[in-house]
Amino acid sequence: MDHDSGPSTLSSQEDEGSGSTRLIGAHMPTAGGLKNSLTAGLEIGCTAVQLFTGNPRQWSHPSLTDDEIREFRATHEQTGIPFLVAHDSYLINLAAPAADVLERSRSAFRGELERAHALGIPWVVTHMGSHLDQGEEEAVKRLITSLKEILEETEAEGCTAGVALETTAGQGTGLGWSFNQLGDILKGVGDNPRLGVCMDTCHVFAAGYDIRTPEAYRETIQKFDDQVGIRYLRVIHTNDSKKGLGSRVDRHEHIGMGEIGMEAFSLLLNDSRLLHIPVVAETPDAQTMHRVNVARLRRLAASGAYGIVVTAQLFGHYSDLFPGGTVDVLLPKGAVVNDLAVALTDLNPALSDLASHCRFAIADDLVDGTTALREGCTVAALPPSSGG
Amino acid sequence: MMAYAYIGHEAIDKSALEKRVVTVEDGAVCTFVGNVRRHSRGREVAYLEYNAYLPIASRTLQEIADEAEARWQVKLAVQHKIGRVELGEASVVIVVASVHRAEAFDACRFCIDTLKEKVPIWKREVCPDGAFWIEGEEALPASKAD
Repeated sequence: MDHDSGPSTLSSQEDEGSGSTRLIGAHMPTAGGLKNSLTAGLEIGCTAVQLFTGNPRQWSHPSLTDDEIREFRATHEQTGIPFLVAHDSYLINLAAPAADVLERSRSAFRGELERAHALGIPWVVTHMGSHLDQGEEEAVKRLITSLKEILEETEAEGCTAGVALETTAGQGTGLGWSFNQLGDILKGVGDNPRLGVCMDTCHVFAAGYDIRTPEAYRETIQKFDDQVGIRYLRVIHTNDSKKGLGSRVDRHEHIGMGEIGMEAFSLLLNDSRLLHIPVVAETPDAQTMHRVNVARLRRLAASGAYGIVVTAQLFGHYSDLFPGGTVDVLLPKGAVVNDLAVALTDLNPALSDLASHCRFAIADDLVDGTTALREGCTVAALPPSSGG
Repeated sequence: MMAYAYIGHEAIDKSALEKRVVTVEDGAVCTFVGNVRRHSRGREVAYLEYNAYLPIASRTLQEIADEAEARWQVKLAVQHKIGRVELGEASVVIVVASVHRAEAFDACRFCIDTLKEKVPIWKREVCPDGAFWIEGEEALPASKAD
């Protein structure tokens, strides 16, 4: 943690810059069309939007039409929301003991990744399934096999959307609530730029990891780093909890209004290691309260003393990955070009070959990976060219 | 003397470019015109779209043109269009004027070859059923259609 310099040392301009650049948003409803999640998200100040790309309580989805895809992408470009993430169907259990459910789940999850890829959504968040009292160890093995197979199969089809495994509350027979088990699952699947983790604050807390005080937060994040790895973190679900520490019950509450309380969210949003990681609220009463929760998170993010805002300008096919081909990234002070490349890959696994494929430039100078970045600078990523 | 090098959205006027460099001292004028063609690696092309990272592209093109002038003792003008370029339209024109033809040919060839290798300009081929980014030897499907 690195929040030793207080808000008093910041100019109001820096405050605003950091607060508005931070990728903050909510899970937005898609009633009336997927693209409505984006326009509604923009309306309440989201710079990150999570959505279901299908009905989360159904197995089968009619495949997206070309028109739907085009409309969604056009709306994405218009709204300019830098970060999107999909959440998979609740029915999917990639660790299911029953062969037919397992096969159905694998097929449905391939569909989730394919839909996300078609819509230009870089990550799909999924829960890690349940063992249903049929043997936890075997269930973990099945989950690892599912993930390996699905990543391989979809990669062969050119899919770049990645899987973010969500920490769970440990309700019922759900897998992946302990950091150690999540770490084992990641190791089992093996390193892959399309594999990451989504941390849910409510779930972590319900699973027994305290984050309510600076000491508790530090200890929990240290444990997460040791047993899972901060480098795997791609999205944070910022939810307060209706239930107590270690309750193993998953009930989301408005930011600061539950058992976790405001300080934990302030600590999280001002952790210099996590500045570029998008945060998404999945709190109740979307229609009325998402606006309030998003504003609350943004205020907490703007209150800290941290970071520099760097604009990445992408060319060639990379320019299709963000609205307008550019994205503002919040990085810790002292960050260099290579740190920007890593942060960009965290935001979209389709950028994992950026550093090996591109030259980087600041204004009219080519720069290397160790070049220091300054507040407000624009870094251009230049793939092999094709003029003439 | 500094060569003329320009990258911009304007249509390229070949004769205006020739007027910039050709004098009565020149026995040879070599003009290369890079045109947008209908077929590219098996795909039918509707039109092309070029974009550039101008801070480096403009400087690099100028350096290439100056180097060609100095090496072969010629006068050179080069212009590259960015934005939408239609079938049959020129995306790039290079004019080299010199006393004798050998230097003009060599300088012209050097200029187009080095431009393709070094100047950060990218083309997007828009085809009837989708678009492709061309990056070096690779053609990558573009996710935004037109």
